[in-house]
Amino acid sequence: MASQDPFDSALDLLRRLNPKHTTDHLSNIISIHPDLAEELLSSVDQPLTVQRCKQTGRDYLLCDYNRDGDSYRSPWSNQFDPPLDEAGAGGVGAGGSNEGAGEGAVPGERVRKMEIKANEAFDVYRELYYEGGVSSVYFWNLDDGFAGVVLLKKASPQGDATTSGVWDSIHVFEASERGRTSNYRLTSTVILTLATKGPSLGEVDLSGNMTRQVELDLPVESDESHIANIGRLVEDMELKMRNLLQEVYFGKAKDVVGDLRSIGSLSQGQKDRETQRELIGSMRR
Amino acid sequence: MSSNTAILSSFVEGAPPGELADVIADIKALTVSEPSVLEDLAPAFQKYNEEQFITAKLPGGSSQVIISEFSSLGEGRYFDSESQSSFEFDHSTGKASGVQSFVLEGEQASLVKSTLSTVGTYVKEHYPNAAYGAYAIENDTKVAVVIVANKYSPNNFWSGRWRSFYVYDPSSGSLEGSIKVDVHYYEDGNVRLLTDKKVNASVSGGRAADGIAREISTAEKKYQEDLNRSFTQLSEGAFKALRRQLPVTRQKIEWDKVASYRLGQDIGGGASRR
Repeated sequence: MASQDPFDSALDLLRRLNPKHTTDHLSNIISIHPDLAEELLSSVDQPLTVQRCKQTGRDYLLCDYNRDGDSYRSPWSNQFDPPLDEAGAGGVGAGGSNEGAGEGAVPGERVRKMEIKANEAFDVYRELYYEGGVSSVYFWNLDDGFAGVVLLKKASPQGDATTSGVWDSIHVFEASERGRTSNYRLTSTVILTLATKGPSLGEVDLSGNMTRQVELDLPVESDESHIANIGRLVEDMELKMRNLLQEVYFGKAKDVVGDLRSIGSLSQGQKDRETQRELIGSMRR
Repeated sequence: MSSNTAILSSFVEGAPPGELADVIADIKALTVSEPSVLEDLAPAFQKYNEEQFITAKLPGGSSQVIISEFSSLGEGRYFDSESQSSFEFDHSTGKASGVQSFVLEGEQASLVKSTLSTVGTYVKEHYPNAAYGAYAIENDTKVAVVIVANKYSPNNFWSGRWRSFYVYDPSSGSLEGSIKVDVHYYEDGNVRLLTDKKVNASVSGGRAADGIAREISTAEKKYQEDLNRSFTQLSEGAFKALRRQLPVTRQKIEWDKVASYRLGQDIGGGASRR
């Protein structure tokens, strides 16, 4: 039997081990198999980190798409922190190419303009749906269009000692422009961690991540309609995923526990079903 | 122990219910250059099997026997009180062999037998498919009860395990143990429920075996109800507070006008109306 591809096996392992500690598992896998580092770090979603923009004082989110070496670009000021070395002409970081995101890829003028608008729009979205939290949008140029990532993070207030929760949304899209329409491919991941404890309950931890994809062609009249299209795509996807998370975290988990152990008596349940069957049978006669 | 062995052992320890073989296959693929690492994982397999109350069938038998620290005789052998037999357990293949007679005798023998009967009645009433056992432990001074229920549905990408154990001390009447639930859902994602609940009860009056089963039944019923309630509370509380299903206006965003939301007076009334 041919042995499994190590990259696929690493992803399979990450799909099985406790998702609350994905970041630790990831670094452990990389220490065992260093060749996989780059590929894994760019394809495995991890909880987002918040940083404050020195120029504007506003919080923004860090990910691989606004990173250049150890510096991150703020969507609010368009500046890297710490500032990039001027010697790295063209914004190309050490040993990296300038294709796509990261490695100092600052979007071109037109795409940066859209990025600014998208950040404003998703700031409104964040306030309406999250009533708090942090949002950031990063765009970059592609040969036939542009791509971007919409990030949202919200943590429950830290004052609560018994219950805690953190939500991270990561929406990566590519927009391929084809005249008056554009093809959008969206991959969305939500990382949701919930924990609660109490003297009678003990400790309960519900953690995980789910990923969904969608591809759609939509009409485009102007750069504004790109923002509206991406907005609707992300809004619909998050609504779908929120419902899915609710179903899996609370419905499915409870059902599986109920499949393992029945609160009611099994023999009584059996008797009740037999009585009901007889009743239905007698009504048919 | 090399640092790789420590890491790989942590992977084994974290394997979800019924997915140890998948985790081992992944470990093999990640360590093809040094196939000997699996031999170094023997202690991790033993720890996993004993902590997770892994079950096995005895050759020629039909009922499940449980691997745990309580049923361990050392040197890879375990015993089962119900069938009064001991057996060898291979921690990497999960197979039992070398069955020998293991006659129950000593101070706790009759309590173990009657507890198997009372706990057995309780388990059949509340678990569609579970294994259970009772064991004399700590030099025949105490009795341990173990219950484990598994359900694996790899085709539907989920698995679950309920495991509980209790140690009864006849000298004080105390019954102490824990209940742990582990549920894994992994269709286009990875979601895990892990719970841990300590149980402290005491058995008094009447036959000890009846009291043990009664206290276990009460504790487990209450726990499952508490756990179900916590799902509702998390859903209605922390989950809702993280992200609303719809804005306060109960309408989706009008993206063509989103720029005016900024200028507009009212951002849906989110902050002011709460």
